[in-house]
Amino acid sequence: MNVTPELFLNFLIAGIMIGALYALMAMGITFIYSIMKMINWAMGEFYMIGSYAQWFLVSFFFGSAFWFLGVLATAVILFLVGLVVQWLLIRPMFSTGMERKDEYGTVVTIALALFLRNLATVLSGPNTRSPDIDLGRIMIGGLPVSGNRFAAFLGALIIIGLFYYLLNYTWLGRAFRAGSQNRVGIQTVGINVLRIDQIAFAIGVTLAGLAGALLAPVFNVFPENGAVTTMKGFEIIIIGGMGSLPGAALGGLLLGIVESLGSVFIDTGLRNVYGFIFLIIVLLIKPTGLFGEKERLS
Amino acid sequence: MDTIIQTQDLTRRFGGLVAVNGVNFSVARGEVRGLIGPNGSGKTTLINLISGVYEPTSGKVFFNGEDITGLAPNRVAQKGVLRTFQIPRLFGSMTLLENMLIPRFADFSLDYLKQRGAAEERALELLEMAGIAHLSGHQAKTLSGGQKALLQMARGFMVEEISVFLLDEPFAGVNIVVKDTIMALINKMASEGVTFILVSHEMASIRQMCQKVTVLAEGSIIIEGTMDEIAADQQVIDAYLGGGA
Repeated sequence: MNVTPELFLNFLIAGIMIGALYALMAMGITFIYSIMKMINWAMGEFYMIGSYAQWFLVSFFFGSAFWFLGVLATAVILFLVGLVVQWLLIRPMFSTGMERKDEYGTVVTIALALFLRNLATVLSGPNTRSPDIDLGRIMIGGLPVSGNRFAAFLGALIIIGLFYYLLNYTWLGRAFRAGSQNRVGIQTVGINVLRIDQIAFAIGVTLAGLAGALLAPVFNVFPENGAVTTMKGFEIIIIGGMGSLPGAALGGLLLGIVESLGSVFIDTGLRNVYGFIFLIIVLLIKPTGLFGEKERLS
Repeated sequence: MDTIIQTQDLTRRFGGLVAVNGVNFSVARGEVRGLIGPNGSGKTTLINLISGVYEPTSGKVFFNGEDITGLAPNRVAQKGVLRTFQIPRLFGSMTLLENMLIPRFADFSLDYLKQRGAAEERALELLEMAGIAHLSGHQAKTLSGGQKALLQMARGFMVEEISVFLLDEPFAGVNIVVKDTIMALINKMASEGVTFILVSHEMASIRQMCQKVTVLAEGSIIIEGTMDEIAADQQVIDAYLGGGA
């Protein structure tokens, strides 16, 4: 393929755009991990719920002109679902003094992922759906860009900005940061860490759901659409460094760019392989990931 | 004097090891009590049981006559029983001032909106007493070990309801200046009615600060009394020197 500077720039922009959405997903995974020290293997299914919610809300309630209301409503739905799921399934691993928390967390979230995926198949069938949203094309620097992708990118940037503000400039955010830095420390000064867990989980899955809602018109909506996204989310958090939110943001952007440029320079069919190759390169150079720190053992 | 903290046949097992064995322990309101014993005698486990970090295998813990056995650490702290750890449990990437304000505002209430000014004033006052107010805008992870101990202690006083403060090895690894500052803080807050239980290997400090001392060995209390009384006790000498049966 003859790669012109315009084509390169076009794919670079496409990579950055999709990377912002990957970052959103990865930040949700990292946020939950940093506070509860557990991997939520069902994050892709919350992405899937978000995409279905957006398809349903746009198709039957708001219409394509008010698609953004669907995104807002999806956020509320995912937050409430997150609160309930955490209370039912995750909270017991902390409130009952369980010894093998990580193993419980792994088993229960994998089971949840399978349940949600099958539930989606039962409720909606295996058919592929897509909300009827067409924002046309816009021009960036003389290059045409899909309006749907650009809207998803802008939405992701706004959500990441709000999330950053929440974490750094509100007491709710400071509570999360304190909980992630020293769980016992925050408990022994009188703060209910189980409540921090519950709200953090709800926010984390809401981020994944919002990624799903924003990408619903870009990619298709189907019961397994979260599986690949989950895999990419985990690639990103390892690239960025486990537990690092800036790492998740940067890792997401880099993965998006690597995939996009790999598709144009090498082979589009291998799109999902480039992330793994990039992951291996990063780990060879910096085994803790881009922003990861070595844990002190003593 | 009335009793503020009491344990009743308190026991904690870890598998086959009995770390705390049927301990009946009481502390009077306003007292500064020393809790000593050789390594592995169960001092820190006892503190963990009182503060809710561990649940007892059997037995009870009472605070002001109320059964607080098995309450979560945050509930115990909310009632006014605070604690420190030998290795300070700070929020390293947050500033000293943020560390101080966490006990007040991290509970998702909107108190922050109306109490921020007063809370910050109190936090800075306590940091001043601890001699680290000039570092209030620095991240806690940049502090020295002694400064971390001071911050951890000052942070405990930010809980308005504090009435009992359990200090686990507050003098371990700190220099003489920090040690004097910690002792001054204890004296100041004790004069305001806070009860202290002081776990330490620093016998000189214990002698200076504590009216009464409890000695633990192998999970059980072997004697209680003044420092002079326990220093002369053969069981205590045996426990520390490995003598006896």
